[in-house]
Amino acid sequence: METLLSPVILFFVLGALAAFAKSDLSIPEPLSKALSLYLMCAIGLKGGILVSDNGMTVDLFLAAIAGLVLSCLIPIGAFALLRSFGKLETTNAAAVAAHYGSVSVVTFVAGNQLLTDAGTPPAGYMIAVLALMETPAIIVGIFLARRNTGQAFQPGQDLLRETLLNGSVVLLLGSFIIGLIIGKDGFAPVSPVFETGFTGLLCLFLLDMGLVAARRLRHARNLTLRLVTLAIVFPIVNGTIGTTIGAMLGFDIGTATTLGILAASASYIAVPAAMRLALPKADAGLYLAMSLAVTFPFNIIVGIPFYTMLAKLMV
Amino acid sequence: MIKTTTRKKIEILMDVPLLRSLRDLAIKNGVRGYTVLPTLAGGGDQGRWRDDQVTGGAGSKVVFATIVKEDTADRFLTALEPLLDEYSLIVTITTVEVIRGDNF
Repeated sequence: METLLSPVILFFVLGALAAFAKSDLSIPEPLSKALSLYLMCAIGLKGGILVSDNGMTVDLFLAAIAGLVLSCLIPIGAFALLRSFGKLETTNAAAVAAHYGSVSVVTFVAGNQLLTDAGTPPAGYMIAVLALMETPAIIVGIFLARRNTGQAFQPGQDLLRETLLNGSVVLLLGSFIIGLIIGKDGFAPVSPVFETGFTGLLCLFLLDMGLVAARRLRHARNLTLRLVTLAIVFPIVNGTIGTTIGAMLGFDIGTATTLGILAASASYIAVPAAMRLALPKADAGLYLAMSLAVTFPFNIIVGIPFYTMLAKLMV
Repeated sequence: MIKTTTRKKIEILMDVPLLRSLRDLAIKNGVRGYTVLPTLAGGGDQGRWRDDQVTGGAGSKVVFATIVKEDTADRFLTALEPLLDEYSLIVTITTVEVIRGDNF
């Protein structure tokens, strides 16, 4: 209940309610873009500074390997369920599966904030795991689509650029490295921008996310009850697996929960752009509706508290 | 009366992620100048869309516009043909009168 009443969640709910009520409330697109860049920059810097404080640990490498394995395997299971239970044809199933293997930066940021507020902050290196988990699922998704439709996989230069040099990946990793280099002392002069205003700006961004997610849901076509069910089952199953792996690897509550959040979240930034290039026949309205309009709100409101509770039971 | 020349204006509505490839294809086929225009929102057979930066522009669209000689237009459109269905491009071609025709 404490999580549900945090300003971050309440602003998200406000945005969603406003969109459902067909209010004309909107955040200007350039501001929305700027807020997302700010959040990625701030979270990257904070992660880098924490790692520079604690040094490179074995846990960092274990979390990275766990993240990579999850990111490669989740799309395979998701693909099978989307084909059988979801009744999707191959290209759409592969495109949606890729989204679930990748991660949502904003779910991570919101989870990070809620866990920190609760006194169980995750380890700083999880930001590197987040960046590592952005892209492998894209390759797996394309492979699944091409293999099952008999097409050869010919990644163009644009797709490679979109996959490996996606703006969010570059900014997250870049800020993380800057944080590593500057450490706590170097961060002090810029902390008023990246620390003091962080929660307030996160609230504004989540207000926008609420608006976008609800509007996406209102206009979603081809979103069947079976697919909505999968968009809720995927995060529960993947989040449970991620949290369990985190607990088995001996991580603290915050870090194990965060591995669960990463496994449970679905991308709506890096993967949609790559899918528009690689699998243009896949229905963008469908994969964005599932990841952004169903899974994202589910994770923000129900998922994060659920994975936290699981971690508390297991750690 | 100012002298005008007849040229072809090609406008293509496309997904933002495709812009770079299409621009390269245009230049490879003789297009010397172009303009990219932003769009706000729209709808069609594939549902509604709007420019939303939350999804990194994946759901956004732009209009690529160029004015060229007729033979360049033919060459560019022939090269574009295989992509039309695959990427659901909307292409319009208009005959226009331009001033300083040598520039196009």
